[in-house]
Amino acid sequence: MLFGPAFAAATAGKAAAARRMHRLVAWPAGVDGTVPLGIIVAAGVIAFLCQDFPAYLPVWAPWDFSWLEFLAVALGAWWYARGVALTPAAARPSVARRLSFVAGTALIYTVLQTHFDYMAQHMFFLNRLQHLAMHHLGPFLIALAWPGAAIRRGMPEPLHRLVDDPLLARVLHVIQRPVIAGAVFVGLIDLWLIPAVNFKAMLDPRLYAVMNWSMVVDGLLFWCLVLDPRPSPPARASFAARMITIVAVMFPQIMLGSYLTFTNRDLYSFYDLCGRLYPTVSALNDQHIGGIIVWIPASMMSSAAFMLTLNHIRIVEDSVPPKAMTEEERRMAAAARRWTGR
Amino acid sequence: MSGFGVRRRDLLAALAFAAPLAGARPSLASAWHNIDVAGYVPSLSFDMTDATTGKPVTAEDFRGKLVLMYLGYTQCPDVCPLTLQHVAEALQRLGKDAADVRLLFVTVDPDRDTLPVLKQYTAAFSPDFVGLRGDADQIARVARRYRLAYSVTPATKAHPYEVTHSSAIYVFGRDGSPKLLIASLATTSPDIAGTADDLRRLLHAPKPGLIARLSAMF
Repeated sequence: MLFGPAFAAATAGKAAAARRMHRLVAWPAGVDGTVPLGIIVAAGVIAFLCQDFPAYLPVWAPWDFSWLEFLAVALGAWWYARGVALTPAAARPSVARRLSFVAGTALIYTVLQTHFDYMAQHMFFLNRLQHLAMHHLGPFLIALAWPGAAIRRGMPEPLHRLVDDPLLARVLHVIQRPVIAGAVFVGLIDLWLIPAVNFKAMLDPRLYAVMNWSMVVDGLLFWCLVLDPRPSPPARASFAARMITIVAVMFPQIMLGSYLTFTNRDLYSFYDLCGRLYPTVSALNDQHIGGIIVWIPASMMSSAAFMLTLNHIRIVEDSVPPKAMTEEERRMAAAARRWTGR
Repeated sequence: MSGFGVRRRDLLAALAFAAPLAGARPSLASAWHNIDVAGYVPSLSFDMTDATTGKPVTAEDFRGKLVLMYLGYTQCPDVCPLTLQHVAEALQRLGKDAADVRLLFVTVDPDRDTLPVLKQYTAAFSPDFVGLRGDADQIARVARRYRLAYSVTPATKAHPYEVTHSSAIYVFGRDGSPKLLIASLATTSPDIAGTADDLRRLLHAPKPGLIARLSAMF
């Protein structure tokens, strides 16, 4: 997915090419070292402030600072920006794709590393919105941006060996099989909503981090599999297999969401015990709204992905040079063009 | 459609992935009368002012005691007095053992709950209750650590002064390790006898072994 074979192919001339690319943009000396250092220093300052002065931080500051989450987002965004700048202008991702990357990354960061996290810990339906953002919409937007090549280009050379490692490709090859990817996608949503598991994950900071990481990573793996704009190969699965997967994951989410919406028993006691953000919203109301979020927006993402895949198929088919046609076929194609516009 | 067929290897991989997760399901219905949170809630840690002595205290000062921790405020009209009354009744059932138990009443409304107010309030329920007062950061740190919600909204022309807080009581062992979460004492159908049983059991638990002590450090 992110680091597919398309860009792993370049080997020998890589360093030379990178040096050439450096020359393409006016890259002030020292920036490559300063920015990551600045990110780490900023993380240290934020970590200190969050630790000691949680009550005085603004809502956009982290509630529960996580080094891993902060650095993953900040370094990922920096590598992407650097990678795009180092890409020859003609090959750069479009502005829409760049915006899609920024929006997806900002969304994941917002739900995890601002005070929204506190709100999501104390309202079930906001918790569902958090999961929707970090497992569906955020990774979906990042996958649409198809940022793998740019991120790889932007990261330090020694890391290239890591992302090009055949072992990583083999692991991805297994977990990105449509059947496994679809089962894990739905399975993770279900797993963290098992009442006993949910209770424990909300109270245990370690398990909470595992839950959030598993959702974000799985979201990226899944949406990068199904939204791959390329045909197979090099994409991991055919367009047909991916479309079946997209539709197949919709039904379990509809079932789960409607179950939560129509259940008249409070399944998630954590929120009652540890307090709701809005105590006037009853446990059942909270759960019902949460159920609707699992049910409707989450499964609507499948419809969006389905249509985007149809568009990918169209683009791929249009890029295939037309074969030699007989006079009769040419006339029919010309007639068809009048109303299809293709 | 290559790569779409289910192979036995895939199924095995999926099973291998799912099995440890299935085993990780915690059981809420344990032998305890309350919710067992041992091993997954952070251990007791805070830094506040003790209203009974007026001196700064930390969790270390309560080592050796069984500690119950509850968030509230003295002007609470219903939930706090009800809950504290139920805890006091549970402690009465412990008899002499109650001397080894402390309830920490952490105020979320320090502006109005001054040290003398807090001291007088807790004393009305039980001598084993300790009022704790902290600044905004000290309260936020406790709330974050134990995933508790609270808010104080000063009065405006349209709204009266409003305070919200969680209802759970955490129980920590003599070594500060997390033990239980008590849900029922904040309700009108409290399990006072069951809670007294649980507390007695924790008070007479054998000293934790080396592994338990090591794991309590994390």
